[in-house]
Amino acid sequence: MHGPFTHLRRLLLASIACVLGAAALTYLVDPLQLFRASHLAAFYSDDTRVQNAGLIRSQSFDTAFMGTSLAIHFRQSDINRALGVHSLKLAMTGSNSRQQSFVLEQAIDRGARRVIWEMDDFIFVDAADIEADPYLSVDLYRRTAKGIASYLFSAAMAKESLFVLLRSIPPLRQPLTSAAPFLPVKFALSDVDVIYALPREFDLARDYNAKKALASFAYITNPVRSRFLGEGYGYDAMVRHFEQDALGLITRHPDVMFDIYFPPYSILQFVAMRDASPETLKIVTDVTAVIAERLAQVPNVRLHDFRAIKAVTHDLNNYGDVIHHSPVVDAMVLKWLASGEYRVDPNRPLASLERLKAQVEAYRVPQP
Amino acid sequence: MLFNSYPFILLFLPAVLAGYFCLGRRSNLAPVIWLALASLAFYAIGNWEFVALLLTSIAFNYGVGHLLIVAKLGAAQRKSALALGVVGDLLVLGIFKYAGFATENVDALLGTDFAIHVLLPVGISFYTFTQIAFLVDAWRGQVAAYALPPYALFVTYFPHLIAGPILHHKDMIPQFERQETKRPYAHLILCGIIIFAIGLFKKTCLADGIQPLVALAFEARSPSFDQAWLGALAYTFRLYFDFSGYSDMAIGISLMFGIFLPVNFNSPYKAISIVDFWRRWHMTLSQFLRDYLYITLGGNRRGRVLRYVNLMITMLLGGLWHGAAWTFVVWGALHGAYLCINHAFNALVPDVPAIFARPARIAGAVLTFIAVVVAWVFFRAESVSWALRVLCAMADPSNIVFGREEIAGLVLVVIYAALVWLAPNTQDIMGYDHGNRTVGETLREGRLRPLLLYAGSLVLAFGILGIQSHSEFIYFRF
Repeated sequence: MHGPFTHLRRLLLASIACVLGAAALTYLVDPLQLFRASHLAAFYSDDTRVQNAGLIRSQSFDTAFMGTSLAIHFRQSDINRALGVHSLKLAMTGSNSRQQSFVLEQAIDRGARRVIWEMDDFIFVDAADIEADPYLSVDLYRRTAKGIASYLFSAAMAKESLFVLLRSIPPLRQPLTSAAPFLPVKFALSDVDVIYALPREFDLARDYNAKKALASFAYITNPVRSRFLGEGYGYDAMVRHFEQDALGLITRHPDVMFDIYFPPYSILQFVAMRDASPETLKIVTDVTAVIAERLAQVPNVRLHDFRAIKAVTHDLNNYGDVIHHSPVVDAMVLKWLASGEYRVDPNRPLASLERLKAQVEAYRVPQP
Repeated sequence: MLFNSYPFILLFLPAVLAGYFCLGRRSNLAPVIWLALASLAFYAIGNWEFVALLLTSIAFNYGVGHLLIVAKLGAAQRKSALALGVVGDLLVLGIFKYAGFATENVDALLGTDFAIHVLLPVGISFYTFTQIAFLVDAWRGQVAAYALPPYALFVTYFPHLIAGPILHHKDMIPQFERQETKRPYAHLILCGIIIFAIGLFKKTCLADGIQPLVALAFEARSPSFDQAWLGALAYTFRLYFDFSGYSDMAIGISLMFGIFLPVNFNSPYKAISIVDFWRRWHMTLSQFLRDYLYITLGGNRRGRVLRYVNLMITMLLGGLWHGAAWTFVVWGALHGAYLCINHAFNALVPDVPAIFARPARIAGAVLTFIAVVVAWVFFRAESVSWALRVLCAMADPSNIVFGREEIAGLVLVVIYAALVWLAPNTQDIMGYDHGNRTVGETLREGRLRPLLLYAGSLVLAFGILGIQSHSEFIYFRF
């Protein structure tokens, strides 16, 4: 009996040693750069909800750039060039206003004096409270004991740390760095500027064209699926979330300038609602009317509305589906933000919305 | 409570083990009651609202079993008692599992709106099937009288309660009654921990590790050829490691208590035919469907045509057992059709000459795997139309993306394929022999001991490090 119990003890002690060893490796390599700037070559991940916690700690910036998938392909270098700022892109695909507001608050606490915020109406739908959100570890951002433990005692992070370590060995550095984007590792990007950015050589015409936009329109307006158009939309909840998450953040930080913009969806997005879910269209226009009117009264906000720029929104070749525009439009967005050309007049906050409504009313979908 | 959670590994399991062996010093019955109560607590922690249902189900089936075993009933009365038991079980299962599905279909047919939303009690399929088998065997005269505590433990035994394997009373109750299992046996505990560690690693590092790739096929609106294949293969491997990991953990935990659970999983993707696949995948369910459904329907004793009809019925019901949705019906129908084709092929085509045996086995394995992957698409998809969209993408090689993400996905899939086809399975590594109640004989003899011990510690460490806060078992809700 004595022998096997010795083996049992040995097994358990060796396991504890392995767990502690893995945690020590992650702490020393620190792939997220949560504790210190990397001693080794720094690498970044497209997993923005996790990566942002490290970026806020490791990068220097004066401007935070926030948004959803509509803002995910921007490059920080382009933002800096167009707006003359030192930016940090924190956009997260499919994010809601709770997540965005929380992450922005962290960025402001770390020194952001300006926020550029792509504000999608969908971000205000009802979702989990930030403290209970399974998709965003608030503890990691706050660096609580739980957050740090979840970071250090993680097999996935130990694997990444080991890979970062291997990449720091001179003979392996070049081949592993080149291969990293094609391997199943998260921290594969060697330049913070390329997080979620499309490659320079990306074939835009293949992924953004009228055929795809119209196919997407047909798909979402199909009677079988059209009910999804209004899924999650509720006027009261959306206004409440706007007040709490967006306006609450803005009024808490009067010294920070907020450049907020409504992104240039294709006109098909609104037409889809008009044809298949008019009640959703009403909620969207009513909610964005409230947003525009409320933000018009806040001194540290500049609101830009790009939704009624016909030359862009009616040219379906700019789109990969009914809402996502190509990086060509990203460049235009930066230009418009810099020039203030489509800034909403605080005295007439609903003017651009009225133009949009008229366009939606008049638009006829091209028939194949 | 999940096996792959810190509270289970660090608190629940050690506490239950300690209580079990402490009580085992004094009596043979107390540890059984303790384990049954611990199992109820395990169930109640996640599903307290269904504890009463579980207890009612135990009391009802034990009562009917008592009528069949102890009471001196005539043949007709015994048949009525069996019918009462089985119908009662199926009625409860039907209400909780299929009422919503049935009304949905009635609504769709008649244009009515009688929506019923019934929360599915976790594990109901497992504890219902377990007890139906007990009643049928009692009716057949194959059951000795059992006391209530071991019977209750047999139904609620927490290593199997919420995701299987489906247990057989003849296998389990005698083990619960044995005196030897109540004393800590270091060799079994050691082997149990290693088997648990392998299962935990499969679940937390392998199954959860490939899970994000599944979205490529099943959450994209129009996946490309490569995305559809990668997503479908990722799901195929995820399900494999999820289920296999759970089965290993169940066996490992049980072994720490000195109880041998049946093997439920035997490298099914190495199968060389679909018949072989079902002898290796969810083996206890296959046995249950064979013994209590297929054979009851007449099996292959009523001619070739009826044999195929029986096969189709069995697999259709097997599909519905997995979930109340048309996707599961299609999945079951596909496997029924595969089995019919397989049996017809075996009947019509003569044995291949020895020289072609190996290539024929390889071809059979490839064909079986592809057939299984196609069926998994229905198993995973939200709807039949969604599954068809994924399958259409898998059949359209003209639309290929093969970007950075897809290449990384392919590397991952190749690694998983190598593990599935080249690595030995847990029972081979540990020499687990359920029939002979032996395990880890090479470990006991000292051969490979340091290697297995330190490999086991590494696997356990990474299994624990891989635990994520939101990770469920796919077989949880069946």
